[in-house]
Amino acid sequence: MKRILIWDVPTRLFHWLLAISFAVAWLTSAKDQWLSVHTFFGYLMLGLIGFRLTWGVAGGHYARFTSFLYSPMTGLAYLRQILSGGGARYVGHNPAGSQAAYLLLALGLVVGVTGLFTQGGEEQHGAVAGMVSFTLGRMFKEAHEITAILMLLMVFGHLAGVAIESWLHKENLPLSMVTGMKDAPEDAPASKPYRLTGALMLVVVSAFGGWWFFYALHQPIEARLGYQVGGKDVPHVAFVGAKLPDNAQWREECGSCHMVFHPSLLPARSWQKMMAEQDKHFGTDLALDAAASKVLLAFMVNNAAEKSATEAALKINGSIKPDAFPLRITETQYWADKHRDIAESDWRLARVKSKTNCAACHLDAEAGTFEDAAMHIPR
Amino acid sequence: MLRIFYTSGLTLMIVAGLAAQPAFAETPNQILSSIQSEAKTVPGFQGFSAERGAIFFKTQHGKEFSCTSCHTENTAAQGKHASTGKAILPLAPSANAERFSDPAKVEKWFKRNCNDVVGRVCAAQEKGDVLTYLLTVKK
Ligand code: HEC
Ligand code: HEC
Ligand code: HEC
Repeated sequence: MKRILIWDVPTRLFHWLLAISFAVAWLTSAKDQWLSVHTFFGYLMLGLIGFRLTWGVAGGHYARFTSFLYSPMTGLAYLRQILSGGGARYVGHNPAGSQAAYLLLALGLVVGVTGLFTQGGEEQHGAVAGMVSFTLGRMFKEAHEITAILMLLMVFGHLAGVAIESWLHKENLPLSMVTGMKDAPEDAPASKPYRLTGALMLVVVSAFGGWWFFYALHQPIEARLGYQVGGKDVPHVAFVGAKLPDNAQWREECGSCHMVFHPSLLPARSWQKMMAEQDKHFGTDLALDAAASKVLLAFMVNNAAEKSATEAALKINGSIKPDAFPLRITETQYWADKHRDIAESDWRLARVKSKTNCAACHLDAEAGTFEDAAMHIPR
Repeated sequence: MLRIFYTSGLTLMIVAGLAAQPAFAETPNQILSSIQSEAKTVPGFQGFSAERGAIFFKTQHGKEFSCTSCHTENTAAQGKHASTGKAILPLAPSANAERFSDPAKVEKWFKRNCNDVVGRVCAAQEKGDVLTYLLTVKK
């Protein structure tokens, strides 16, 4: 027996970065506010898997697929031997472990790709924004969630396997994935370390992370609350989606008493009713002349909820009964559901004061996009 | 011949220059004088008063809001919409050059705001008093 390098540097980096990515993506999946972190680790995971598939052909001896090409049958047979207390020791991946590696790679790929299309459909942004419909996005989301659960189960299976192997063969397998070193028979070839590739990987991953989070760190969220600062400067928000249609006259006329409520937040029939009753606009007379009214109404009807592809538009519109003509966004069912859990004390914050002050909590409210990543209660 | 070219070119340039000017750009004093010609049609008109304007601006007229509810006591400073909280840029022309430069905009807001505060449109006398008062506000 001799102690040699089995896992080269890029393989070890891949392993731990993938583990971190999966764990963080899993933990940040619960809340909309963390979506930008969640998607970052999703992209990272896809990138890592892409790298690993290449490294399986071009990498160190034990990283190559040819060194652990076993059939699922051999894997099962090995599992049975292990469970009956036997089973040979393998220096690289054993037949059962290799199945886990393949399955994790495949599942990771499916989870990543379905996630990409969920984001493209449901949020209409990311690399495939606009390529899939909202409904299709929802189906991808189902697939995304199911495969993510399968992947979690696979991770647990892998951890159990590592624990059993470590105990059976009296060696610390997790540690060897850190140091790369293992005891091996005299004739076993050692792997090359590939330090330069590893360093390059780290550089690429840090650059990607730096680029992704630059905006968020660059400008503290507090300073971006454009509303209090005169409402003129459009808040600078990271991770915004597609730019929604805009109209200078509408912004000027409908944005002087309150922030502008983008047309995509209510259906056309609501805007028609609002303009028809403009002399009783929540207690004030808008007193717009006929020419201006016509331009504003045309813009609002052409970009109303049923004509827009944003998540807010689709969900708000879906929550309004066909015979209802809500004049308030804050009265729609979807809005009520989404804001039910906000504490009474948060509504009373000096910066919030009114439910209609959307921009206090949604940094991109003036743009109408209402992105998950731009949500922030100004406590 | 050359002269004709020269003068016609010059006239063209002047016409184009005038056309490029936004039709509405006026000064607060021009707007005040057009309010004045409107006020003069009412018998007994005796001119505008900044004091009367200030009182009109700062007191309630039987409704929930006064003009200061949104524009604050200090019209040279930023205001805040009383029911929505939205920031309003200063109203006094000394602090905000864009104020009282567009007659249509001025009319629109007088109509809205008088309706909110007084419950009717403002008379030319009242509008002239308010503008005279606002013109006395120093930055
Ligand atoms: C003269 C002031 C004024 C102007 C101009 C104005 N609004 Fe309003 N608007 C209000 C007030 C006051 C409210 C009630 C706010 C509240 O309850 O907090 C309101 C409420 C609303 C709401 C309901 C918000 C909600 O979901 O509760 C919508 C939608 C709206 N306005 C749209 C418009 C549109 C579109 C225009 C342009 C055509 C416009 N407003 C112009 C004063 C104005
Ligand atoms: C007090 C802060 C606050 C105000 C004011 C507020 N929101 Fe929200 N909003 C939130 C929070 C927090 C969430 C996230 C809720 C969740 O994820 O369960 C949210 C969620 C949403 C969503 C769903 C976003 C998504 O993709 O899941 C929409 C759309 C939305 N708000 C629109 C509005 C509009 C329109 C207004 C103004 C009429 C408004 N909000 C005012 C805090 C606020
Ligand atoms: C409910 C809030 C509110 C009240 C009360 C109010 N205003 Fe205003 N006022 C506004 C807003 C909002 C604007 C538009 C601000 C902008 O364009 O930035 C405005 C604009 C104006 C303008 C337009 C000036 C210009 O040329 O841009 C005038 C004049 C004006 N107000 C006068 C008054 C007078 C006089 C009163 C009292 C009778 C009054 N306001 C009361 C909210 C109010």
